Amino acid sequence: MTFEDWFRVDRLPHIYCAGCGNGTVINCTLAAVDEMGWNKKETVFVSGIGCSSRAPGYIMTDSLHTTHGRALAFATGVKLANPALNIVVFTGDGDLAAIGGNHFIHACRRNIDITVVCMNNQIYGMTGGQGSPTTPIGCLSTTTPYGSAEPAFDLCELAIAAGANYVARWTSYHVKEFERAVKAGLETPGFSFIEALVQCPTYFGRRNKFKEVTDQVEYLKTHAILRAKRDRLIEKGERIPDDMFIIGELARRNRPAMGVKL
Amino acid sequence: MKLTIDETRCKGCNLCTKVCPYKIFVEGKKPNLRGIVVPDLDRPERCANCRLQRLYGRTLCGVCQLTCPDQAIHWEDEQPYEPMKVAIEY
Repeated sequence: MTFEDWFRVDRLPHIYCAGCGNGTVINCTLAAVDEMGWNKKETVFVSGIGCSSRAPGYIMTDSLHTTHGRALAFATGVKLANPALNIVVFTGDGDLAAIGGNHFIHACRRNIDITVVCMNNQIYGMTGGQGSPTTPIGCLSTTTPYGSAEPAFDLCELAIAAGANYVARWTSYHVKEFERAVKAGLETPGFSFIEALVQCPTYFGRRNKFKEVTDQVEYLKTHAILRAKRDRLIEKGERIPDDMFIIGELARRNRPAMGVKL
Repeated sequence: MKLTIDETRCKGCNLCTKVCPYKIFVEGKKPNLRGIVVPDLDRPERCANCRLQRLYGRTLCGVCQLTCPDQAIHWEDEQPYEPMKVAIEY
């Protein structure tokens, strides 16, 4: 069995734009779920609203497509009602960081046994390219036509501070590493948060001088720095450019978790 | 095994041309019936997965399949190679 057996083939091809990274993230997540050997009847995919949250509609399992930002609240309910189910939450940056930020920190605090895959495309893709809490400083969007002036949200740091058991960040270029991170998150009891930076060629890339899809993927590849390398550079006293972002496994610990299958 | 691109699903984003370590995918020239420029395959028999997937019993590289956002890349079973049969007429 491969990850392709998890797709709802009659719904494909999906409605994502050409080159959208969300499809890649779905592939990697399903490959990790497939490696876990889970049953389709015991796996539930939960999502909120947004481009990323259309993902469970293309997967051949039970799924919940819930209200904006409340995916984690619904997932908590599902997990506590039946701890035998395996829950994976697909969510986007606008869904998780903006309107669902409150649910996010409290899910981390409670340390519920779910896995959250956040597809961070740094913009509100579905509603027309408005700036989101994760839009980097200086990036153009519909609501920030002179460049975003606010500092961006670092979701991984937030999850670590709030108490998640497993936190990792990868990009849509690092598919194998991302798949391994999702698998580690699925294996970890307690709240696991995996952020994937994805390209949005239609709204983010077109406004920010990424003419082709591959240009933005090249940017994600060249501006990612592993945490170990960052620590080495800091030790040597070298300066890290401001536009670099950290990737890799950022936290793994063993806090008491809630709703773990006995 | 044979590497194939499903033309009904491909949207022509050319991400596979970027990630393949053997550079098997090259940018296409002509649009197909749906108006999408599907990438061409440059000597696909070089693909490690095509040759060795059966022998090792697992997917060896598979980066193009994982990366393809439209789930368009597959490996198909292939008939074993047969030397060309030539009918000799006397």
